[in-house]
This record gives sequence, structure tokens and C-alpha cells, in this order.
Amino acid sequence: MNKITRRDLIKLFGTTALSTGLMGASSLAFASKSAHIVIVGGGVGGAASAKYMRLLNPDVRITIVEPEPKYIFCPGSNEVVADFDTLESLTVDFNTLKSRYAVNIIQDRATEIDYAAKKLKLAKGDVLSYDKLIVSPGPDFKYDAVEGFSKQLAEGNFPAAWHAGPQTLVLRDQINALPQGGTVLITSPVDPYRCPPAPYERASFIANKLKTVNPTAKVIILDSKDDFIFHDVYLDYWEKMHGLGTPDARIEWISKKSGGHVTKLDTKNRTLTTANGQVHKGDVINIIPPEMAGSFVRMNGLSEGDWAPFNSKDFSTKRDKDVYIIGDSAAADPMPKTGYIASNQAKVVTKAIHAELTGKDIGTPFITNNCVALAADDWGMTVAETFRYAGNNKPFEESYIMSDPTKNPFYRHIRAEVAKNWQRTFRKDIYS
Amino acid sequence: MKKLLLLSAVTGLTCMLQAPASFALTGGISAEENAKLRAEYPMPSAEMLGDNCSACHGTNGAEFNEAMPPLAGMDKNNFIKLMKEYRENKFPSIVMHDVAHVFSDEEIEAMGDFFAKQKPEQWTRPDWNKSIKQHAEEHSHE
Repeated sequence: MNKITRRDLIKLFGTTALSTGLMGASSLAFASKSAHIVIVGGGVGGAASAKYMRLLNPDVRITIVEPEPKYIFCPGSNEVVADFDTLESLTVDFNTLKSRYAVNIIQDRATEIDYAAKKLKLAKGDVLSYDKLIVSPGPDFKYDAVEGFSKQLAEGNFPAAWHAGPQTLVLRDQINALPQGGTVLITSPVDPYRCPPAPYERASFIANKLKTVNPTAKVIILDSKDDFIFHDVYLDYWEKMHGLGTPDARIEWISKKSGGHVTKLDTKNRTLTTANGQVHKGDVINIIPPEMAGSFVRMNGLSEGDWAPFNSKDFSTKRDKDVYIIGDSAAADPMPKTGYIASNQAKVVTKAIHAELTGKDIGTPFITNNCVALAADDWGMTVAETFRYAGNNKPFEESYIMSDPTKNPFYRHIRAEVAKNWQRTFRKDIYS
Repeated sequence: MKKLLLLSAVTGLTCMLQAPASFALTGGISAEENAKLRAEYPMPSAEMLGDNCSACHGTNGAEFNEAMPPLAGMDKNNFIKLMKEYRENKFPSIVMHDVAHVFSDEEIEAMGDFFAKQKPEQWTRPDWNKSIKQHAEEHSHE
């Protein structure tokens, strides 16, 4: 049997528990005085949870478990692909969360929840005890949805670039090195996936860049859907700026019913095959794979099917009332998988936790998603979605208003400025 | 009566012709269904409603350095008046009508209260870091 050291106990219970809990203070006092809120993931959902928890409650201990030393925002990463922004400008560290909000950051990967003992195991061997566990690890990709594709290929010469990072730069470099008159293939996955307008924003940005440096090149979007958000705005833009529908179109969108659903990748010949047997050759091939809940969520029995169900009142999981799920891994339909949504889910969860710790009613949740997308630097679009609570075992009810194509250039220009403004304010809201 | 109907039909048509070409797409539950859900459950707290604004207007509405205006410290009556005008589409806006159309009078008033109470200072407040550190220190001596 292993000998338990003081260091092990600190790992298990934290220093406060060691100085009070083990010296006779009741476990109830421990829970109410210095509950330990552990958060899996330091992305938007996790970071917002830590900050907004602290804004509500100066006493709780807050720990984020995150494998990466820094976080790179996904909003803005299409700009990096098209080479008019840098990854550096999208990168934040966790220092502000540490110093300003007294959040403990552990750089490690969470592996396993011991539900009965309320403990979280980490890859390097540490074990954390939690009173409340907020799970926000982001999604995983179904690479095998396209035969011949794999995680290794995505990390090599066939970047998915759907999580801002090294793959974003590989894709950028491939676009820059595209032969004159070359073809870029982009696949767009089935719903739901992170940031619904982003494949079309990406295609637009790439086409805009090619228009100046490689005007005979072409972008083809092979879609596993027949519709997408801002469809009318993007098609209008592509018609106006890239000759959509003409023989010389710089951009082409092939819907599912027109044979856009991609089933197979041939790396040697650089081709994609679609469900109806059509073969498309691409100098650059950007497969955006379908998604599912992150592996931590699936390995710990939190998911049913691809996503993790939860109680609508407080986002506690169906598996355990002290374990919460937010962000892209949650089965939150009709909410889209956006950072905006993840941050507002974090605010609901932290309010629920704070209410429970202080013996108050958790109230009625309310969530909005007021999101933005671009077709170009001066061509923006917005959607305002509201999600009203409709019962603990029911999905939220949605109402929305979104941009339609407008003939008024001022409207789309102002929307583009709103979009850029939002990217800045949003980052500040979450990480500062 | 017939005349009135005709008049309103004509007015409606005129409105459609004169409205900006940026007709938006709407969807999801209707205004009536929204009202029904509002009636069925307690109103979300002022904090719950107000925190939804932070992604654009800053934490506690206290982002003073961007194009989207700060809400922290805003006069309550001005907030209410403006939000209701956005809701009814009486005040021209790019995004705010789309945001405001779902809120009840009571919800708008609660948000007005919430933002009026916030300090009109750029987030993060200078004293925030200090107070938390103090708490953490006191806590560790327990």
C-alpha cells in the first residue's frame, strides 16, 4: 500500500481542508466557506466560468485544468488563414485569471471523474477534489467521417484548422503557395459544429485574397448541408464579388443535394470524392470534419450519442448534479456552438452554483447569442438569438433575427465594424 | 370601416416600400409564445439579464473604449426609454432592435436598474485585484 504523504493530502483536499477540515471543522463548514470549483478546460467556457464565479463569490477556491499554456481565440482565425491577422494577436495567457481573479491554473489534462468520491484525476497523476465540477473541454473531430482522412493528416498536409493553432498557419501557407489558377477545396460538415457561419466566412476571405494575388484560382465548398446561416448574404456576396453562377466564378458552393457531401479523401491524387461519386481535385484540401463532444466528456459517461445532455435550469449533467456541462460539448440544441453561447452558459452555471452555496434560489436561466460574421473587411452580418427557459427537461426556446442581404453598403459596413468591435470586447470580457 | 382597412393596407404597402432594404430574417417562437414563457416562469434576475450584454458592452457594461457604448452608470430612465424604442423599432439601429425585441417592460426595467448601479469606470476596476487578493490571504489564515 502506498504511504499517504502530506503533499498527497494537499493534492486531494487543498491546503484549507488540511488546516481546517482535518482538524475538526465540519465538512459542511468546509463546503460553504471554501467550496472548490474545478473547471475542465481553459477556453472561453472555462475562463468565463472562472471569472464570473469569482465576481460572484470571493471565498470559493477556483481551479482550471487546461493542457495548453495559452489559449488562441477561434473568432478571428479565418483572418489568419487569409493572412490579414496573426495568431499572436488572438493569443491570451492565463495570467490575468491567476493574478486578478485568484484562479489556480493547472497545466495538465483531466482524465477521469470519480463521481462517488468527487475527485478529478489528471494525466500526470494529480488528483483534485471538487465540490462542483464545470466541464468545458470543447469538441472533438470525427476524422473518420471522411474515408482516408485522419488526425495525423490534419496535423500534416491536410489541415482542418478548426481549432486555431498550428493548422491555421499551415493552411495559410498553403493558400499563399497555391499555383496560379489552382483550386482550394473546403468541406463543410453536418450540423451541429463550432461557429456555423465560419466555413463560408473562410471561403469568402480566401476568395477575396485570391482575387488580388491569384485571380484565376477557385474555391469550391463541398457541403454536407443544403442550407446554412447567412446563406442569402453569402450567396449575394459571392454573386457580386466573385461571379457566382458564371463560368468564371471564383467561388462555388455545392450543396448536399447537388452532391456536395464528401465521403473520401485520396491523399496521393489530392482528390475528394462525394456521395454521388463525383471526384474533385484540389491543390489545397481543407476538410472541416463533423464534431462530437470532447473525449473527456465521452470517456466519463457524460454524453448520450454525440453530445452531453443537461438539466436546462442550471446545466448540471444528467449523470451527476455536481458536474456541469457547458460549451460545444453540451447537447444544447437549438443553441449554436459559439463562444458567445459558451460564455453565457458559464454565467448561468456560476450563478446556479453561487445560489446553491449561499442557500438561495437559482432563478430562471436566460441566454442570448448575438453573433457576427464577415464576408470581407467591410461586409458584415449579425444574428441576435434569444433562448428562453421552457422547463428543466426541455430544450430552451429560441427566437432570432438575422441579417438579410442589403443593398445599403452602410448597413453591411457598420455590421463589419460591429463584428470587429465585438471580437475585441468579447476577448476582454472573458480574459480580463 | 372598409375605408380604414384599405387605408391600413395602403400604409402597410408604403411602409414596405420605404423600409430599408435590410429586411431581416426572423424565426423561432413568436412574440406571443415568448410572452407565454415569460408568464410561466419567474423573471430571470437583473444580473442574469444584464450579464448577457457583457460580450459586446463589457463586463458589467463597463467597456468605455470601444464603439459599442458603455451601459455602466447609465441613467435608468434613459436606458428604459431607449430599449423600448429599440424594441418597437422606433429608434434606428443596426443590431439593437434585433436584440431588444424579446424583452418585457419588467425585464427592461430590471436591466436599467442593474446598469444604473454599476460604477461608470472602465472594467477592470483598479480595486478589484486588491480586494480579491486580500480575501484570498485572509482565507488562507483560517
